Amino acid sequence: MTNKESAVLDLIYQTLTTLNEERSADEKIEVGPDTCLFGERSVLDSLSLVSVIVDLETLVADKFGNAISLTDDKAMSRDPVPFVDVGTLKAYILEQLG
Amino acid sequence: MISYAGKIVLVTGARRGVGKLLADYFLRHGASVIGFSRHADEAPDAPGYTAIAVDVGDADSVARGFEQVRRQFGHLDIVINNAAVLTSQYAMIMPAGAAKSMLDTNVLGTFLVSREAAKLMRKSKWGRIINIGSMAASLEPMGDSVYAASKAAISTLANVMAKEFAALNITCNTLGITAIATDMLDQLPKDKVDKVIAGLPLPRYAEPDDIFNVIDFFASERSAYITAQTVFLGGAN
Repeated sequence: MTNKESAVLDLIYQTLTTLNEERSADEKIEVGPDTCLFGERSVLDSLSLVSVIVDLETLVADKFGNAISLTDDKAMSRDPVPFVDVGTLKAYILEQLG
Repeated sequence: MISYAGKIVLVTGARRGVGKLLADYFLRHGASVIGFSRHADEAPDAPGYTAIAVDVGDADSVARGFEQVRRQFGHLDIVINNAAVLTSQYAMIMPAGAAKSMLDTNVLGTFLVSREAAKLMRKSKWGRIINIGSMAASLEPMGDSVYAASKAAISTLANVMAKEFAALNITCNTLGITAIATDMLDQLPKDKVDKVIAGLPLPRYAEPDDIFNVIDFFASERSAYITAQTVFLGGAN
């Protein structure tokens, strides 16, 4: 894994960890490369997913200096959408960062 | 005495008309005011005022504007969605371009600004989003089909967003203003506006204080349990 890949993965984990900090013990989600964020197997409700996406966009902008959108028309027209799980999310962010 | 000391307030369409009145009002009462307008470079310098050039109907422009707000201020307390375009014309001769321009600025602009504002407000778990509506939405005057529809739309927009943002302690309300002496009013035939005003339960033009009173309420802690509401001045509903 390159430094950039590792940095992006850390940011994703950071947002999920932040989310866990706001949750009670029995609501905490498992954080890992296969964590499912969207769809039937998702561990997040819709509001939590929104929080994760917004936090992540901010963190990526701060870390890399590039504002990216994970929910613009391009992202939302993909099948599957980029935030279906941690792996696809990481790949999409790296693609956007170029 | 109302004080907005320590509050960060964003006003769209802040360069003139009701937007300028509101920006000046918040400044006078201690707020740090950010003014979004298409030509921010023409805005006068004033202590506590930051002008940012943003076309609210353009998603990229709004995103850039909010990125500047985030980096410069870190958070946001109050948003006044005031930017609006008005072309008054009978529907059968209304140019499509003019109709689209109204929808882009009045509806899409309000959506985009509210969306980005909520992202900033959610961290502090406090926010006030106030849309500037119009008596046109309820009185539905001839010649204002698109404008009236756009102003009705932003009430609905606020009502739905109020539900989505409630858990974040962000309220969303709409103030439906009546005619007030601004440059936008100059675009309308005075006899037509006089006739509409004469039909109001309180038949007079609005004064700035009429607007400030309701804005103060919607922006304050006292309105914490008030969301998804539209208040019309002058009984214009």
